[in-house]
Amino acid sequence: MSLATVRWGALVLGVAGVALTLLFHWQVFFWVPTEASMGIVQRIFYIHLPAAWVGFLAFGIVAICSAVYLWLGEEKLDQAAVAAAEGGMIFTTIVLTSGPLWARLAWGTWWTWDPRLTLTLLLWFIYLGYFLVRSSTENPERGRRFAAVVGIVGALNIPLIHMSVVWFRSLHPPPIVARQDGPQLHPDMLTTVFTALGAWTLIFFSLFLLRYGVGRLEARIEQGVIPS
Amino acid sequence: MNPLPSVVVALVAIAALLFAPGVLEGQETTAPRQMRHFWHVFAAYAIAWVLLFGWAVSIARRIGRLERRVGGGEGT
Repeated sequence: MSLATVRWGALVLGVAGVALTLLFHWQVFFWVPTEASMGIVQRIFYIHLPAAWVGFLAFGIVAICSAVYLWLGEEKLDQAAVAAAEGGMIFTTIVLTSGPLWARLAWGTWWTWDPRLTLTLLLWFIYLGYFLVRSSTENPERGRRFAAVVGIVGALNIPLIHMSVVWFRSLHPPPIVARQDGPQLHPDMLTTVFTALGAWTLIFFSLFLLRYGVGRLEARIEQGVIPS
Repeated sequence: MNPLPSVVVALVAIAALLFAPGVLEGQETTAPRQMRHFWHVFAAYAIAWVLLFGWAVSIARRIGRLERRVGGGEGT
């Protein structure tokens, strides 16, 4: 796959993502009804939830690529895992910043050591560790293998985060979209959430593709396949 | 160059501004609560877009650097 192909793919996904983003911002600020009890600040929900889902998707990709990398040893799988991990860090950081901004007005505190919040922060630190582990060994191959293990272990935290509000007493509200008995949300709010989710999924894959292309090109230059 | 450290530094700076003691408490007494809601929504969306834009810019810079190295962008 050439960098030009990667760029075109990323451009198509990116343009579609930006178009959906404009739509979801219009929905958030001009169309969706204001939630009765929390008011305007509830609109943070439309970035908070999609960011969490895209972050989990990204870390899921990291885990799958890392597991197959450990099995087959193909370097491009490690490069895909790194690209996804960067995206996962970005989206989880959005979750961890938008959450406190919402919580300060909804709960009266920026942060509480609630199981879901704590596990999400732990997830962020695990993937920070993923990057630190990569550069911690003198042998790059060994670093990649250690990081792959961290990438797999980190993803085991995702179902715990999802179920934490069900299993433990929690200040964080239980799931209102991903429920067994169906979403419990106003239809317009649900539409807005899914538009935002679509927008950020497209933007994530656009940037992921570009980042993966960069990783491949860097590796081939280092291996001398492409002369610098 | 790994782009994450710069993202982390930017994040810490934003957090330091947001969580600075007294800044928001001061607003609470002078500004109506509704304005504070708007401010929080604006901050949440702004941080999200700064982070995403920052990631995009870091990738674009790496692409530019690689293209200069290989002299015009050959296949990956």
